[in-house]
Amino acid sequence: MESLLIKKASIATEDSGDLVVADILVEQGVITRMGKDLNVSDAGKTLEAEGKILAPGMFDAHVHMREPGQEAKETIKTGAEAAINGGVTGVVLMPNTSPAIDSSAMVRTVQDIASRDARIPVYTSGCITKQRQGKELAGIDGMLKHGVKMLTDDGDAVADALLLKRAMEYASEFDCFFASHCEVLDLSGPRALNEGVVSHRLGIQGTPACSEEICMDRDIRIAHAAGARLHIQHVSSAIGMETIRWWKKMGASITAEVSPHHLLFNEEDIGNYDTSYKMNPPLRKAEDNKALLQGLKDGVFDIIATDHAPHTAFEKAQDFVSAPNGITGLETAVISLFHYYINTGEFGWDLLVKRYSSEPRRMMGLEPVSIAEGKKANFILFDPKGSTSFTADYMCSKSQNTPFLDQTLDGSIDLVVLGDEILLER
Amino acid sequence: MTRKDLLDIESLSHEEIEYLLDQAGPFKELFTRSVKKVPALKGKSVLTLFYEPSTRTLSSFEVAAKRLSADVTTFDVPHSSVVKGESVRDTIATLQAMRTDYIIVRNKLAGIPLAIARETRASVINAGDGAHAHPTQALLDGFTFKEVFPEPSGKRLLIVGDILHSRVARSTSTLMRKLGVEVAWLGPGSLVPKHGPAEIKRFTSYDEAMKWSPDAVYLLRIQMERQSAPFFPSLREYTSLYGITQERFKSLSDQGTYIMHPGPVNRGVELCDEVMEYERCLIDRQVENGIAARMAVLYWLKPKTVSDDKD
Repeated sequence: MESLLIKKASIATEDSGDLVVADILVEQGVITRMGKDLNVSDAGKTLEAEGKILAPGMFDAHVHMREPGQEAKETIKTGAEAAINGGVTGVVLMPNTSPAIDSSAMVRTVQDIASRDARIPVYTSGCITKQRQGKELAGIDGMLKHGVKMLTDDGDAVADALLLKRAMEYASEFDCFFASHCEVLDLSGPRALNEGVVSHRLGIQGTPACSEEICMDRDIRIAHAAGARLHIQHVSSAIGMETIRWWKKMGASITAEVSPHHLLFNEEDIGNYDTSYKMNPPLRKAEDNKALLQGLKDGVFDIIATDHAPHTAFEKAQDFVSAPNGITGLETAVISLFHYYINTGEFGWDLLVKRYSSEPRRMMGLEPVSIAEGKKANFILFDPKGSTSFTADYMCSKSQNTPFLDQTLDGSIDLVVLGDEILLER
Repeated sequence: MTRKDLLDIESLSHEEIEYLLDQAGPFKELFTRSVKKVPALKGKSVLTLFYEPSTRTLSSFEVAAKRLSADVTTFDVPHSSVVKGESVRDTIATLQAMRTDYIIVRNKLAGIPLAIARETRASVINAGDGAHAHPTQALLDGFTFKEVFPEPSGKRLLIVGDILHSRVARSTSTLMRKLGVEVAWLGPGSLVPKHGPAEIKRFTSYDEAMKWSPDAVYLLRIQMERQSAPFFPSLREYTSLYGITQERFKSLSDQGTYIMHPGPVNRGVELCDEVMEYERCLIDRQVENGIAARMAVLYWLKPKTVSDDKD
């Protein structure tokens, strides 16, 4: 890439809600100069960025790219392009592929595909139990030796509490952490939607929030006893959020994530069996939206993660019970959070950068991205005055199972730069 | 005022409900004639697609369609196991190719009739989907209720039993409320949902419910779940708490309370034998009115034609 000068960008950081206006010069993939009114005469490319936000590339620690096994939904190639399209420059894959990522061989397979097909760093998590069956431990050491940091049976909880405790005790000696999808299956029913007014109206057995809350509390207690580090995935309820708040106060070694859809939507959005609002854990109540947002502002949630879960149109067009759980998120997260929260003053760019760029990288043991001289270029340029229509054409994911399909929101991602490459320019 | 499909009661306006109930009247009058058939749907085809076993509702629809002179075909589908949504979707293409005018569907899964209705030009009538809706049952219940209470507004209906799993309770409650009837539910705490509409009173005590003085008591068929976690200890305990026993029946008949039931009844569980002989027991009348109500629905719905697609 020729040298790139970006003029008068408003720089977003995790430390302050105030945006600092500066020019930055990128040479050979590194930010070599940064300051007011840089005097650069020989820049290969100059972009006027007045009024635009320059923020670190985001990092999504909860992503399903379906490869290997379900390439009709997504591949690592299309998933990585979807990430770039959404301003995300690093992801962690969940291991519930087919076959599941439960051995060093599978980790290497995925890493090989990623290094061939993905233009951003793609990390993978590994299973706790073989094939996520909850019966035998997966080959933990082999996976960790190949760089796995996060162990999870995501999509399911490890139902056997003793097995989970053993796994945590075993792995407490290694440099890794556990991530829990929390659910007591006996309470969940068909795993279709929240138990409440909407499940009653639609005549489908609902999943009560306590199904998630009980398992969350169980897993934290087990991790606490076993001395393991634990991350709680996609918290959906107010009581779940308060459970984490309480345990953090108790000094438990935990982190937690919240997804944009659990912040923005609730069970009422399901309307008349709209499967683009079907995911697990399910959307809860309007009060839960409020509580989760408060939890995010208070730092109860360390990270935002989308649980990007592509499914084909055919699968999602089934009846509500049969349709699979999950919606895509990589391409809509930054813009929707900007549209509904930053643009309305609920929170600032600092929160988004902290929770969707810095903290998830720290959780994975990576250095957070900062916009500073001498640092590798890894940033997005966001136009708050722009707008984005999430049409099928706009999206790079193979699947369009998102509630935002064909909606237009404020803000647009105009540029994504990673190292010496402009990954996206609009 | 016309519609392609009848999928639930919620989406019907008060006017549409009144219209359908008014239409059912003249159809019922036909039943006393020697020739009960009218040529209203002559040349039209009706296909029944029942993924759940049913004799009463299926027969009722068949009789209704035949009295309107439609050609009726029973599409044979397996109803032993839970039929997955995917295979239903595959069936839809077949149905579309058959160019049938009306599809009457029953399925264990809520939302299947809607999924079919979206994909086909035929008029789809929901004959019961999971615990979601059973709109023709609600219409026949409303029609029957109005026969005994021509001014239903302000009357009280108590629905008793397994509300949680009952599409009848949902649809009939919704329709009755649209007619201005006050509705309450009675049953064990595990079977009376806490998340129902706020306007519906919720009772778990028979005596408390009776103090509310219902004008009609609607009993639901009660069964022990064959699944792992039971909702109540035994049928015997259910009957002792909520069944219309001889003693309770005496008090109900003294007050002239009407009794309804969607059938088939479990004698000795939700009601005692005496109820069936009671002059204010409306159960047989519900069956007869079911045919009239379903004729009104078939007559009212308008399938799309191929030319509609081009619009």
